[in-house]
Amino acid sequence: MPTITINGVACEFTPGQTVLQVATANGIDIPHYCYHEGLSIVASCRICLAEVWAPNPRNDNALEPIPKLLPTCQIQAQDGQHVYTDSPRATANQKAVMEYLLVNHPLDCPVCDQAGECKLQDYSYEHGRGVSRFEETKVKQPKKDVGPNVLLYSDRCIMCTRCVRFTREVTGTNELIVQGRGNKEQIDLFPGKALDNPLASNVIDLCPVGALLDKDFLFKKRVWDLTSSPSVDGITSSGDNLWIDHADGRVYRVRPRTNLEVNLWWITDEVRYGWKHVHSEDRLATPKRRQHGARVETEWPRAIAEAVRGVRRAVDEGRRLAVLLSPMLTSEEAFLLAETARAFDPDAILGLGPVPTVGEDRAFPPSRDGEPVHQSPRSPSPGQPPRPFIMRAEKCPNARGVRRVIEGIGATPLDVVGFVTAIKDHGVGAVILTGNYPSAWSTPDLRGALAREGLFVVLADTLDSPLVELTDVVLPAATWVEKAGTFENAEGRLQSFEAAIRPVAGARAEGQIALDLHAELEQERAKADGAGGSPAGVTPKPARLYDAAATRRRMAEASDALRVFITHTHQPPAQHLRQTDMPVVEV
Amino acid sequence: MFTPKLTEPVLTKRIPTYPFGDEADRRIVSYDDYVKTGGYGALRAALAMPPEDVVNAVKESGLRGRGGAGFPTGLKWTFLPKADDPDEPGVRYLAVNADESEPGTFKDRLLLDYDPHLMLEGIAIACYACRLSVAYVYIRGEYHHQARVVENAIKEAYEHGVFGAKGLLDGADTATGKPWAVECHLHRGAGAYICGEETALLESIEGKRGWPRNKPPFPAIEGLFGKPTIINNVETLAHVPSIVEHGADWFKTMGCESSLGGPPSYGSKLMGVSGHVNRPGVYECDLGIPLRVLVEDHSKGMRNGKKFKSAIVGGASTGVIGPDDFDAPMDFDIGRRCNVLGLGTACPTIFDEDTDMVAVARNLARFYKHESCGQCTPCREGSGWMLQLLERIEAGDGRTKDLDLTLEIATSMGAMPGTTICGLADGNNWAVRTILNKFRGEFEARVKPTYVPVTVAVGAAANG
Repeated sequence: MPTITINGVACEFTPGQTVLQVATANGIDIPHYCYHEGLSIVASCRICLAEVWAPNPRNDNALEPIPKLLPTCQIQAQDGQHVYTDSPRATANQKAVMEYLLVNHPLDCPVCDQAGECKLQDYSYEHGRGVSRFEETKVKQPKKDVGPNVLLYSDRCIMCTRCVRFTREVTGTNELIVQGRGNKEQIDLFPGKALDNPLASNVIDLCPVGALLDKDFLFKKRVWDLTSSPSVDGITSSGDNLWIDHADGRVYRVRPRTNLEVNLWWITDEVRYGWKHVHSEDRLATPKRRQHGARVETEWPRAIAEAVRGVRRAVDEGRRLAVLLSPMLTSEEAFLLAETARAFDPDAILGLGPVPTVGEDRAFPPSRDGEPVHQSPRSPSPGQPPRPFIMRAEKCPNARGVRRVIEGIGATPLDVVGFVTAIKDHGVGAVILTGNYPSAWSTPDLRGALAREGLFVVLADTLDSPLVELTDVVLPAATWVEKAGTFENAEGRLQSFEAAIRPVAGARAEGQIALDLHAELEQERAKADGAGGSPAGVTPKPARLYDAAATRRRMAEASDALRVFITHTHQPPAQHLRQTDMPVVEV
Repeated sequence: MFTPKLTEPVLTKRIPTYPFGDEADRRIVSYDDYVKTGGYGALRAALAMPPEDVVNAVKESGLRGRGGAGFPTGLKWTFLPKADDPDEPGVRYLAVNADESEPGTFKDRLLLDYDPHLMLEGIAIACYACRLSVAYVYIRGEYHHQARVVENAIKEAYEHGVFGAKGLLDGADTATGKPWAVECHLHRGAGAYICGEETALLESIEGKRGWPRNKPPFPAIEGLFGKPTIINNVETLAHVPSIVEHGADWFKTMGCESSLGGPPSYGSKLMGVSGHVNRPGVYECDLGIPLRVLVEDHSKGMRNGKKFKSAIVGGASTGVIGPDDFDAPMDFDIGRRCNVLGLGTACPTIFDEDTDMVAVARNLARFYKHESCGQCTPCREGSGWMLQLLERIEAGDGRTKDLDLTLEIATSMGAMPGTTICGLADGNNWAVRTILNKFRGEFEARVKPTYVPVTVAVGAAANG
């Protein structure tokens, strides 16, 4: 394998890799602004320049210096080269570039959202001079409203043009351009356009400085107060890998987590802002029960007890239990709910909740006649063809996973129409519904069927909706950021994730609700058995806590078909689960 | 004493110019006039030669690019990838650099103004020799009149079958047995200096923002629209017909050998003198002509009888020579001999003894600041910073440390080899640095010294 020596470290590489890529793969940090692995290479920021010594074949392969400093982001690694980014010439250039970049930068870090995750700050600290010798007048640039979600502070821009290349090469929409020349040039909108496309907000993450900012996150939180938890898209079937940035039990923003097998470096705006319902004012926070036809707030134990009592009564009367498993649920929760349903009624009807779709899948860069309109020259790894980013039409994360679970335990999932037909039948006496959609989801048909006299309805949902008025017990459920589990995306990839925040006040994960119902049921049954024998033998048995990993193990034991949840589930890389990058100091 | 070897005009054969003719007789050379005076004969001769022989003739002549860098033209032509079938090499381009925007440079303008067919004949020969099928003449945006002249000439050339689908010279038979067809287009710039940089020029022709490209890939491999491309200056191409007609040895009788052991500077050169002289203008001279002869003979001496102080050698980017270098020969060695970037376009701008060199430096810095394309950080930010420093120094508000800072910025921006994609920052560096180094006294007279305060401990502090 060819070898290149970077800062004295011998690194093996695949031909075609650039020096910067080899360095990054080997843990050597080379500063860079304009280079991004998902975009074309322009080599214009000039901070990654390195001193290169190459073997000269005309001189018995003796190492000879190349007179010019070369951009490591652009030059391909060659066997036998020695590259120095820590030589006096290279560091002098890094210092000079840092000083130049700050010449017209307003240095308004205290009021800048990017502070704390800003490459200007990082590289100033690592490679900069500390003091600026610039005493002249700075060029002042305007602040611009470029799109529905993005603000542009031209002042802070360092003209790396990542955002411009993104709209050209990834979205193919070309909204952003470079306008002007020299130190007066700025990023601007193409006349008559706005930065409004399904991937637009990715430019915020792309921007290495505080020039492109998120209107939604603007002035909300200092980033060093945020904790980042790895997660997976819980809004669409894309399975996009995410960072959930949160503090004090509150989500502040969602960012893409690079995964070259799924979402590359991007997420769609609907996923990025799709967490808004988590902290919606309409969130159901307190369990409710029916009292004289009205719904009153109650405590969890009572709500669970009433739910169990109602379902048991129906089943005892010889009527069926029907459970609607939402495609918003994690696979583990679907399994626990199905298991609980069968504990109530071994012949329980299992249905798959409505699977919302909007339009069709869209690929980025868009293609015309089968050819990409704007070919992004970057592929995830050398030798592989570039793959598109796909925005999914299916707006639920786990339709495949829930179906897989239901089929895995030997049942046939009914679709919504079938489910509604089934519960219209008087043979069904109790219904447990799960929702968890980011907006109202019930159909008039479903509501009509639920309104039937004598039907006991339990609803586990997140948002207040007309459905609540039709139920006997309402159990507030938790969204995906508040719980752990596994989603199966549109490509059949199983991805597990952990909870980012604790459930908002009063809510419980559906998995926990299933376990609570199950525990209550067993206790009731034990009591009933005990009523005929010795009541003293019944001690209250607390419900197990919902544990996604343990549930996956139980699923594998329960059915061979569900073993895939052990064998094929992708978990976030270990380094993503680390909560801090601060070194541990022995005191 | 300098004796010119150039006894009759080569490039200015049809453009009366001192000492060979009277400027008053100049007029636009039409196709008919051009052919009557032997025009397109060289093209006919070239078509009778195998293409490789034409390339070899240019290579042997030692013709060096007249655009500024002085790169051997024949060698550049050999960088094109070898085609499997020489008759079907695929689309390959010739880009003609007529974006003459270097401050003080106006030599190509003479050809474009009066004798555009000379360039077109050079284009046709180059396309035949290098198997190029499409030529783009990229003309500077401010050259309105010249663009009209060239456009008209191209039209004439098409009408008379020089260009077009039938093949060169109405589908004339060539040594390869097949006619060679060339399309020629005129492309007007929009007034950006940077578009004279060869790769920015390609971007501009492609309809993109004129931002220089990273090299490699070099244009000869991957140029215009991703295809192999040769980029030549107008004057370079204008030399090609006479080389084909008279041979490489004839070309070597003009110009001079290198006195420093480097590659020779053969042939004649258009030199445009401007500044404080009595008769500014473009003159065709031997390479190697002393600047003093150019000024005192061709340009009728310094204006108002003043003394020579300094000169920009060949376009602002090359930097200036000092008063002692008045006798410097204008050849491609001038860079090493006089500590400037190089010969450049060989269009000197002459300064007399009254010139304020600080103002010259500031003026040039303003030009580079205005024309920096803004792609690379050092040039974008450094050029603006340098201008502000020089403005402050000129106004008398500078300090001695500002002089050092100016030099440091110049050096870290571009020092040939510089740190940027293209050479604009290098040009900025050479212009400002050579002025500051060669006329440091004038700058020091303008700035206040930077005092380093010395603290003397007295009293209790001194006793500890």
